[in-house]
Amino acid sequence: MAKRKNLTQSPVRQGNRIDCSREIKFSYNGRWYQGYKGDTVASALFAAGKRIFSRSFKYHRPRGLTCVSGQCPNCLMTVDGVPNVRSCIQPLSQGMQVEHQNAWPSLEHDIFGMIDRLGKFLPVGFYYKSLIRPKLLWKIAEPFIRRMAGLGKVNLKLEHGDEYNHRFLHTDIAIVGGGLAGLTATVEAIKADADIILVEEQPCLGGTLRHRVQDIDFPELPGLSAQEVADKLAETVVSSSSVSVMTNASAIGLYEGNYLGVRQGNELVKIRAKQVIITTGSYQIPLVFDNNDLPGVMLGDAVRKLIHYYGVSPGNKAVVVTSDDNGHGLAKDLAEAGVEVIAIADNRPKPDIDHSGVLENPRVPVFWDTSISRALGKKHVRGIEIVTSKEASEYQAPLKLKCDLICISTNSQPANSLLHQTGATIEYDKHTAQPLVKNTPAGVFAAGEVTGIHDKNLNVLQAKVAALKSCQNLGILRRKKQLESLIDELEQLEITSRSLPRVHCSQTVPGISDKRIVCYCEDVLEKDLNQAIEEGFRDIQILKRYSTVTMGPCQGKMCSAAAIDICARATGTDISQIGTTTSRPPLEPVSLGVLAGSVHTPLKRTPMHNRHVNLGAKMVQVGEWLRPHSYGNVWSEYQAVRERVGVIDVSTLGKLDLKGDEAAPLLDRLYVNRIGNLKVGRTRYGVVCSETGVILDDGTISRLAEDHFFVTTTTGNTESMESWFKWWSASTNDCVHITNITAGMGAVNLAGPFARDVLSKLSPIDLSNEVFGYMGNVSGLVAGVPATLMRIGFVGETGWEIHFPSEYGEYLWDSIIQAGQEFGIRPFGVEAQRILRLEKKHVIIGQDTDALTNPYEANMAWAVKLEKEDFVGRGGLRKIKGLPRSNKLVGFVMKDGTVPRDGDPVIDKGVAVGRVTSARYSPHVGRGFGLAYLPDYLAVQQSDFIIAVNGLESLAVIVDQAFYDPEGLRLRG
Amino acid sequence: MTYLISCPGCGDRGVDDYRYGGSVLKRPGYNDDPELWDSYFYLRVNRAGMEKEWWYHRMGCKQWFIAERDSTTNQVHVTYWPGENK
Ligand code: FES
Ligand SMILES: [Zn+2]
Repeated sequence: MAKRKNLTQSPVRQGNRIDCSREIKFSYNGRWYQGYKGDTVASALFAAGKRIFSRSFKYHRPRGLTCVSGQCPNCLMTVDGVPNVRSCIQPLSQGMQVEHQNAWPSLEHDIFGMIDRLGKFLPVGFYYKSLIRPKLLWKIAEPFIRRMAGLGKVNLKLEHGDEYNHRFLHTDIAIVGGGLAGLTATVEAIKADADIILVEEQPCLGGTLRHRVQDIDFPELPGLSAQEVADKLAETVVSSSSVSVMTNASAIGLYEGNYLGVRQGNELVKIRAKQVIITTGSYQIPLVFDNNDLPGVMLGDAVRKLIHYYGVSPGNKAVVVTSDDNGHGLAKDLAEAGVEVIAIADNRPKPDIDHSGVLENPRVPVFWDTSISRALGKKHVRGIEIVTSKEASEYQAPLKLKCDLICISTNSQPANSLLHQTGATIEYDKHTAQPLVKNTPAGVFAAGEVTGIHDKNLNVLQAKVAALKSCQNLGILRRKKQLESLIDELEQLEITSRSLPRVHCSQTVPGISDKRIVCYCEDVLEKDLNQAIEEGFRDIQILKRYSTVTMGPCQGKMCSAAAIDICARATGTDISQIGTTTSRPPLEPVSLGVLAGSVHTPLKRTPMHNRHVNLGAKMVQVGEWLRPHSYGNVWSEYQAVRERVGVIDVSTLGKLDLKGDEAAPLLDRLYVNRIGNLKVGRTRYGVVCSETGVILDDGTISRLAEDHFFVTTTTGNTESMESWFKWWSASTNDCVHITNITAGMGAVNLAGPFARDVLSKLSPIDLSNEVFGYMGNVSGLVAGVPATLMRIGFVGETGWEIHFPSEYGEYLWDSIIQAGQEFGIRPFGVEAQRILRLEKKHVIIGQDTDALTNPYEANMAWAVKLEKEDFVGRGGLRKIKGLPRSNKLVGFVMKDGTVPRDGDPVIDKGVAVGRVTSARYSPHVGRGFGLAYLPDYLAVQQSDFIIAVNGLESLAVIVDQAFYDPEGLRLRG
Repeated sequence: MTYLISCPGCGDRGVDDYRYGGSVLKRPGYNDDPELWDSYFYLRVNRAGMEKEWWYHRMGCKQWFIAERDSTTNQVHVTYWPGENK
């Protein structure tokens, strides 16, 4: 636990996200700190003076806040036991436990930092090349490499419980991104009365308007500041009843059918939208120069967020590196926040027209046509080196300045991954050095900076057009004229904007040092890429796979532009020809718990469930059902059935009701047995096979009337048999009504020498052998309940399977137990049933058969009637019959006192050649017994074979007949 | 696999509401060659393009129907009950 006395006070701050009246205490590495409501973990730590937020993946280089937008890997921490949390977007909460990761003993002094100096010995493809021979070398090295590399550690003890959820939403229009374009589109769509979901990843709406606070000229709201425009638009959106706004929600994938995956906290929200408008904007990307990952080097927008959102001073002396007016606005912001701006290094040539007052901040020297070549300092920025791109320059190069903050505000990258996923056409435009969206699939639109166009007026128009076109697709557009004129206007503006000159700042600035980081996540250096290209990995796709550039947690957000730039230069290819690496969902790291959601396995209970529980039954899950394993004593349950009478709940059996003139031909087609000749009032055991002759299921078929059959299936195959029956019915286009009545009917099996005595007390039905013989069925009353009775040889004793409406379950159960009292009746569970049935050598589908078992192997050849007319499986079975059999299911009894377990191997000459599928102790035989698959050559009647029981070889003998009552006299009695 | 299919009985539903039942095939006759049966069992065309397929609405009405789907785009052009030959 953390010590409270070390609480560090933080000064009162002014930020549009935080509420300084609400303090939040949290601990970081065992010390208590204080932040405010609205802070993120990172903003509170930064305010408390922390500058190193992580150590890098491979070289353990110190890393500080870089993007403050959850795009990079530089602020990953362990929060409340959960590793790899992006602390810059993790809202702070009371009592939160934050810890650093991937460094020892601390971020400031990390022993593994020495790896940074060994960089020469860790070239790209290091593992592939150096630790190959001898093989042992990798075995020794691997644990060390694994420990030093990598990020946080998973806490296996952490309990997550049910906190993960999935939610499903439907809407007319989903708009992703609540910045200027997204808000504009939403406002337009509201006017058409569309149902809208607006997805915004930040805690509030407004996007860049909230931190790039220069004035904007918004035609409909003249004279307002960016903040005010955002407030106005957000207010309209939030107050509309047709919009549901999701904040702190990130879209992680857009799939076919406009299926949008959104992560919101621990929830995965799946949105099915008729139309999708993508307004995800753009984000700034870093430059590659010497020491470019030094803490204190930050993206311009990150700095602005620290200032405007959280009221934190980002540094004392700053230098802004830029290539557009945005950087000059940033300089103003810095100055207003009390930061001394030492200089602006502007990549553009000095403008002919004097912009002073607009671009040039009079107090700040602007170095035109320059860029940064190096960040100076060891653990934090202490200075900057500026170079000019011109040969003859008015500045002395390189120019060294002292500072503690370097703001990179050069290139932006459209956040267009979602568009990529939809298959939109995106082309690299040389003129603007931006990927431009050319075409989107039906029902998907893009507007705003995500399209590669950075012009507010154009972006607003795009958003309006996208909204109106969506409404048009939905058939709710009333203002057709307006759409046409907007489209015209947009086209005009696009033409003028294309003619404006642009300056593209190269993603890399030449330098000399070793440590020029391209990929923050995987510590891929510029020289690594150059070397890989020299080795022949010239295509961006294989360059990526070989060097792992773009393959880290940021998914290339920060590095793919630089990688493409370097690849183009090194291979002498035009950037537009390089292509990009594929962007796949999820767009940002998502924990597996969110994807999995909470587990809602349905559990089915039989109508008599409570009776079993009251009787103290041990319940087990069988498929989706809960069934009694036993009521305490398996052996006395067994004994009751064999000597007196027992009752078992078999409501879990699948039950299909078939009606129609063509029901008999359909069943004849579905079963390998003959069914058509079954008489009314008779029941038959049947086997269902696939077309290739594999056993699918077994069960009983009872003919209740000429055109009415009642079929049972095994518990686990109910659904698949229902669809199988229905498919054959549909494909032959016959007239049969197939109804799954499994849940509507309960069932018990009453069996034992006194079964008839018990049942005759409850039912007026004549149960005598002459009238109700073996394999007969009768419908009538049992304890006054309408029921269908089938006399089948379930456990090898006289017995009836009684099916009745579920509602009567408990009543009928009680009646039977009561009537059986004088005969010593006992309920029995699935374990006793298993032994009883195994003694009769009954095969359990799925236990004694698998996905390849055919009837000839499983001793069911007698059921197959190849000579009857066409049936399902005939083709396959005919073929199998002609082939030599490889395996055979046999019954066996142990020769010694051992009892094998299900799955024990059958051994021949020291090799496993078969397996036991079912084995138990048989009270009747007095030994271990069961069923096993043997190779055909071993399956000779009455011969011995070996089973490895508990790893020791034991002898078993093959028994051909049923172990109990082979003549079947008892069940017919 | 997140596209929509319209069940002729229930309407538009996500594809995971359904079970795919394979292409609509012609079943060989009783006396046809074993080779014909073999190809019916095991050989599938896997057509890139329009295909007639069986779909089962397992999470809904539990009925089989036929969908004509383009396997290259997952566009379902039409669905109908078997026997309603469109
Ligand atoms: S600083 Fe947090 S992800 Fe970049
Ligand atoms: Zn349906």
